[in-house]
Amino acid sequence: MATTVAVYNIKGGVGKTSAAVNLAWTAADEGARVLLWDLDPQGAASYLLRIRPKVRGGGAKLVRGKSDPAALLKGSDHARLDLLPADFSYRNMDLALDATKRPTHGLARVLAPLAGDYDYVFLDCAPAISLASESVFAAADVLLVPLIPTPLSLRAYDQLARFVAEQVPKPRPRILAFLSMIDGRKTLHRDIAEQLAAADGVLGSTIPAASDIERMGSERRALAQFAPQGRAARAYGALWTELRGRLAG
Amino acid sequence: MDLPRTQLLLPDGTDASTAADRLAAHAAVVTQRAHRTDRTFWDTFDGRLHAAGLVLVDSGNRFVLADARTYAEQAAADHARGLRRLAAIDLPTGALRERLEPITEMRILEPVVRVRSRVLPVNVLDELGKIVVRLLAEEPTALAGGDVMVALRPRLNVVGVLGYDAEYERVLALLTGELDLQPVAQPVQDEAVELTGRVVGGTSSKLRVTLTPDMRADLAAVAVLRRLAEIIEANLPGTLADTDSEYLHDLRVAVRRSRALQRELRGVFAPEPLRVFRDGFRELQVLTGPTRDLDVQLLEFADLAATLPEQTAPDVAPLRELLELRLGAERAKMVRGLRSERTRALLANWSDFVDALVTAPDDDRPDAARPVADVAGKRIGKVYRQMVKMGSAIGPDSPHEALHDLRKKGKELRYLLEFFASLYPADVVKPMVATLKGLQDVLGRFQDREVQADALRALGDEIAALEGGAAALMAMGVLVQQLAQEQAEAREQFDERFAQFAAKAQRKLVSQTFG
Repeated sequence: MATTVAVYNIKGGVGKTSAAVNLAWTAADEGARVLLWDLDPQGAASYLLRIRPKVRGGGAKLVRGKSDPAALLKGSDHARLDLLPADFSYRNMDLALDATKRPTHGLARVLAPLAGDYDYVFLDCAPAISLASESVFAAADVLLVPLIPTPLSLRAYDQLARFVAEQVPKPRPRILAFLSMIDGRKTLHRDIAEQLAAADGVLGSTIPAASDIERMGSERRALAQFAPQGRAARAYGALWTELRGRLAG
Repeated sequence: MDLPRTQLLLPDGTDASTAADRLAAHAAVVTQRAHRTDRTFWDTFDGRLHAAGLVLVDSGNRFVLADARTYAEQAAADHARGLRRLAAIDLPTGALRERLEPITEMRILEPVVRVRSRVLPVNVLDELGKIVVRLLAEEPTALAGGDVMVALRPRLNVVGVLGYDAEYERVLALLTGELDLQPVAQPVQDEAVELTGRVVGGTSSKLRVTLTPDMRADLAAVAVLRRLAEIIEANLPGTLADTDSEYLHDLRVAVRRSRALQRELRGVFAPEPLRVFRDGFRELQVLTGPTRDLDVQLLEFADLAATLPEQTAPDVAPLRELLELRLGAERAKMVRGLRSERTRALLANWSDFVDALVTAPDDDRPDAARPVADVAGKRIGKVYRQMVKMGSAIGPDSPHEALHDLRKKGKELRYLLEFFASLYPADVVKPMVATLKGLQDVLGRFQDREVQADALRALGDEIAALEGGAAALMAMGVLVQQLAQEQAEAREQFDERFAQFAAKAQRKLVSQTFG
């Protein structure tokens, strides 16, 4: 049965998609069978994997159980990594979910028949707290939260932790965070990173603000494909190793 | 999820790079760095995986069970390096063991052939530069032991990518149309087995002899006996090495069938040499009997122990140890006997004798020149009638021996049908075989349970003297009771099964067909 990791943050622009794509790729490289679901209507993960952000029948049919999710999957350039692509209609995911019987279980229903084929499912989630994100919370075993070391980002993380603890019915996903887009030259980044290093639920591995990660957009490939030995690829490797350990523990 | 896969042959003289170049003229392709693979294909002696359309591929420290044609993976597990043989039951719990156990049963898996390949991956891309079809151009070589290497035909594996079926079909059409590549007729492992001089699909112990009704009876006997001699010879090394218990089983079946034919078609042999060989084969059967009995007891041990209540089950451990100890001693005796000059001479002389039958004078062989269908048919009719008579005489108070004797006679009929059923109309033989099987099943259970219970009782004194013996003895008491219960159930089914076997309509058919 697959372990589902939702890469999630209320805020946008924190490195969710880079994390989802590179972690999924790294896991597949290690031999795991991995599915990545690009839930963001902007389709950045689909774009990076050179797969058209198009789902036949759109998101509404999918969450209503009218489309076979297995028939919508696309193999990536990694033989063990498949993608359930984004679709522009995902922008209306809340409406689509609302029209179902148990809106918060819509995503879990889609994933259920696929779970036996994969070891890990990564969800690249759109930034927001909405019905769609509540459905993410119900489907995920772990919320993996990329944090950029700014006070606002920390506030958003606190909001998320509170929301999950207070509003999400059991079984709740575990929340694990990691520091993303760290610029070692900035004092603020260094201070917040230090402050968070000891916090519960924050992973020790961090992801630097690296030009390799920015290049992913022009390369349209995972880091392991074009800069496998770079600082950023190694950082994602270490993050995956730590996360895998936590998932197993 | 299974991906579409096809394997195509590359034409003679086309290596992997040439194939990639030819393809590049028709599609956007990226050639990656070539790599080498080293695979050893495993199977049981009788090719059970091959028969199931599967391959077990060992890449040094990992087994992958896959479809024999597409190589789509079905289960996998890591293993220690240097493994020479494998019993499925010894694998760690998991998908591979679950898939293998029911197929291999008691048989050991061993390496069959090793194939080393140079593989050139070639990816076909779409307009976004995304891989939509994977091609693996393979130049395989079979290793035939030592340094002997045999080049196999190069091939192109075409593998689809999930969600890109149309692209897969387009590339396949291009390869088979424009580039005129043909699908492979034989998977690489079969070609490797064949070109290194071995039998594809393993060594069968099935009879598989084609006879015709008007064939001379002695020539029909020769055909069957030669095949049986082959089976004995093929299974002797594995029996001596104790690779698995099935070698001895198949060897004993072949010996028993040979004895049955010696008996049923005795009129095609000269009496005096036949008597000597019948004695020799009986000795062979006696020599191998105790080991087989203990093999069976140990094979059935887990099932039998499973009938015990959970808290009692561990108590029978001393029994298992004792059986294993006995098996060791009996096996040593058997191996000495099988390796002896006497056995070697028996089998060699028997083969010569069978071969010589083809040209031997037939003055003292009254049935030799008769059509085999006449000789065998007469025996089939006679044995069937004897069984009907014996079975009809069995009542509620008949001694167990009456049922045991009927089973023995049933075995005679079974062998006759195994050898000669193809010579007669299927509508007569088929119901006869089916009802005989149903009857023998009940009689077999009836006798086996008694034999098992007797065997347990015979071990009682010895078990009692062992540490933990008292508890084992009590558990054995429960087992004996269980066996008695099963025997009684088999006895209850006898009347119904016999009535089917001896039904009036069937008796009439048998009499019309076999006289």
